[in-house]
Amino acid sequence: MRRGLAKALLLLVILALLPAAVGGAPSRTPSNVLVIGTSIQDIVSLDPAQAFEFRSTWVVEHIYDTLVEFSRDFSRALPGLATSWTASADLKTYTFRLRPGVRFHSGNSVDAQAVEFSLRRVMRLKLSPAFIITDFVKSPDDIVAVGTDQVRVTFNQAMPEILMASVLDNPVSSVVDPALVRRNAAAGDPEANKWVTENDAGSGPYVLRRWTRNAVVELVAFDSYWRGRPSMGRIFMQDLIEPAAQLLALQRGDIDVAMSLLPGQYRQLQNTPGFVVKQTPTFTLRYLAMNVGYEPFSSRQVRNAVKYAIDYDAIKRIYEDTIDVGQTIVPARMFAHLADRPYQRNLERARALMREAGREAGFRATLAVSTEVPLPDIAAKIKEDLAAINIQVDVQVLRAADVLGQYRGRTHHMVIARWGADYPDPDNLAKAFADFDSRVLAWRNQWDHPVKQIVKQAVQEADRVKREALYKEIQKVVLEEGPYAVFAYPLRLIAMRSNVKGVDPSPLAETFDLTSASKE
Amino acid sequence: MWAYIVRRLALASLAVAGVLVIVFFLSHIIPGDPVAAILGPQAPNDVIEDLRRRYGLDRPVPEQFYRFVARLVRGDLGDSLATHRPVIRDLREFLPATIELATAAILIGVLAGLSVGVISAVARGRPLDHAVRFLSLIGLSMPVFWLGLILLFIFYFKLNLVPGPGQLDIFLSRPPTVTGLITVDALLARDFATLWNALGHLLLPAVVLGSHALVGIARITRASMLEVLGQDYVKVARAKGLSERTVVLKHALRNGLLPIITVIGIYYGGLLEGAVLTETVFAWPGLGRYATSAILSQDFAAIMGVTILIALVFSLANLLVDLAYGFLNPKIRYE
Repeated sequence: MRRGLAKALLLLVILALLPAAVGGAPSRTPSNVLVIGTSIQDIVSLDPAQAFEFRSTWVVEHIYDTLVEFSRDFSRALPGLATSWTASADLKTYTFRLRPGVRFHSGNSVDAQAVEFSLRRVMRLKLSPAFIITDFVKSPDDIVAVGTDQVRVTFNQAMPEILMASVLDNPVSSVVDPALVRRNAAAGDPEANKWVTENDAGSGPYVLRRWTRNAVVELVAFDSYWRGRPSMGRIFMQDLIEPAAQLLALQRGDIDVAMSLLPGQYRQLQNTPGFVVKQTPTFTLRYLAMNVGYEPFSSRQVRNAVKYAIDYDAIKRIYEDTIDVGQTIVPARMFAHLADRPYQRNLERARALMREAGREAGFRATLAVSTEVPLPDIAAKIKEDLAAINIQVDVQVLRAADVLGQYRGRTHHMVIARWGADYPDPDNLAKAFADFDSRVLAWRNQWDHPVKQIVKQAVQEADRVKREALYKEIQKVVLEEGPYAVFAYPLRLIAMRSNVKGVDPSPLAETFDLTSASKE
Repeated sequence: MWAYIVRRLALASLAVAGVLVIVFFLSHIIPGDPVAAILGPQAPNDVIEDLRRRYGLDRPVPEQFYRFVARLVRGDLGDSLATHRPVIRDLREFLPATIELATAAILIGVLAGLSVGVISAVARGRPLDHAVRFLSLIGLSMPVFWLGLILLFIFYFKLNLVPGPGQLDIFLSRPPTVTGLITVDALLARDFATLWNALGHLLLPAVVLGSHALVGIARITRASMLEVLGQDYVKVARAKGLSERTVVLKHALRNGLLPIITVIGIYYGGLLEGAVLTETVFAWPGLGRYATSAILSQDFAAIMGVTILIALVFSLANLLVDLAYGFLNPKIRYE
């Protein structure tokens, strides 16, 4: 029996010691390699015509090129594949001259036919991000190659340069290699969407070497890139969902950059030598929406009473200071942002507004919120705040799908929601929040206000100063009358080892330009 | 016995069909808009309508069910709304990682659980028994998520004994796919560097995932062994002068295995579907995460695909357990 026991114990000891035999090598990533720890579960397609999620578009931006690019401050368009362009007097037609000698990763030339093919392909496929083009270009025939080195795009409205760049700098407008697409087309998939989803048909600074779903994306620098080879030879995006595991990997040196830590973990690293935490504003909003179709919220006074009852500073504390408090629908750093912040918690004012509306006795309302941290806590805080003006809130913590179901179905009373700019122009926000006819947020909250006419006017306005004034006017109206209590402009936090340089996240995509990254 | 197996398989098919009907209608009754959920808050209405039409989600639920069954008969599980790919392809991609993890976990659970259970039973009432039972209690009450992070902290971060999260070092490429199981494929390709690396990555999540099975099997083993060790035939064996080792391992353990085999089968099925937390902590690209995201976004086709798979695994595990009874106890006859 003793021998049996001894064997069993030996087995346990072996099991306990086995890790030592297969231990990982002490780590620090090589100097020409950048490893980014992030969740890549949202990458479902790398076809520019389909990619619409943060990480998908991040990868697409580095595999593909676009005709134009934005300046860092989003104030003007810069040359990309197009070296120059001219616009017609009515700003509806742009003609782009292409950069000579640019080649796809396959070795094929990037020419006007490729640009025409790519943009028309997006319109034919009509997948999630296609609206970014189809909202402004009526028909595929409005995109025409003129010879081999010029492309003419006719928009359905006047397009100030920033708006033109908003469309043509977007990843959906990336230029794909027509020869590769045609070669991989199949019956039932004439645009080779399935193939382009998983393969590289671009001319961008990086070549897609591999994408293993939910595991890793590997990019390799394109030696013949027209701007010159990027400094990081290889980039890995490693799927690490759990923040604590991501933190350990960063501290161990297995990853160079961590994209999704918790606020407390960022704070911990801020005070740790050898690590840097970057904090960047984003073009996203968090807001409380009130459905005007629910009778109490049809009153402007009631909506404003809600805005005055909310304790914005407390919400900032719940976010552990990872937000800026802002109240207008165009976020800070975007063109035409209005910095007004009229609402502070003021219960007297809020109660007076409730009295004015004849709602002194209050009412009941539901508040739908998703399980995403810390939204349920914010909902609880808002419930407490509104109880002070006799609005009894039933908080419904639901799956994001269910919250959206209510919101899109217009069956909600209140929801806590987010909006991120699809392109860096106030038109995107104004259309969503103020133009009922666009059937987005104003429509969902049943708020049909004459301000929509200003939205339609502003997007056509070519004069930059007048345009800015119009968007500020829209923001003021929405702030004072709209069914939204905007309470946060979230910040994007990224932690990295201190030898990583050139990481400067864009407020639009919340990601950063990999070509400017380097290591010391 | 073959007639028995055929009958059991037929019954299992009925059970799977029943599960399918229930899950299909339940998942469609739950409120929420899967297309809107997948496309996010900013997708335009016409894009949503278009996708809804494309996936047949604009049809009445009974018609959707009819279409689902018609496709299923042809071996087509439909396309996932989230990944835009055939569900069968997703399952083929994500299932092997979970099978690899769950199999390693159950092996650890069975080997260690049986050993601990037997030791505890033999040493009944002694300090060793108390220590084992105390540790079992701790093991059973420790959340998998927390255990995973603690082990990562100690063995990966502090001691540098195991590699970090993930199924394979990112600098290594997967071996050519034959079975989809990285360890097996690496072995078939005689790529021992990759095999070694994959085993290193597998170890910690397997220990974490197998810990609950280990404790459960140890407890059942102890209880079963205590019952058997008190039987007359064990006393007779001892009286015959057989060594204690022979008495415990040949006479007692074999007879005590029946209830243990039952829980092993159940645990294995549970590990396959319940690996989600371990997969999250260890960034394991498996079925658990796929299933969770499918459920959260109401990706009907993916939910049904995972349901069929899990139902089949449970049915097969049960059948294997029943067949194992006959092997362990010749008195059992299959009729």
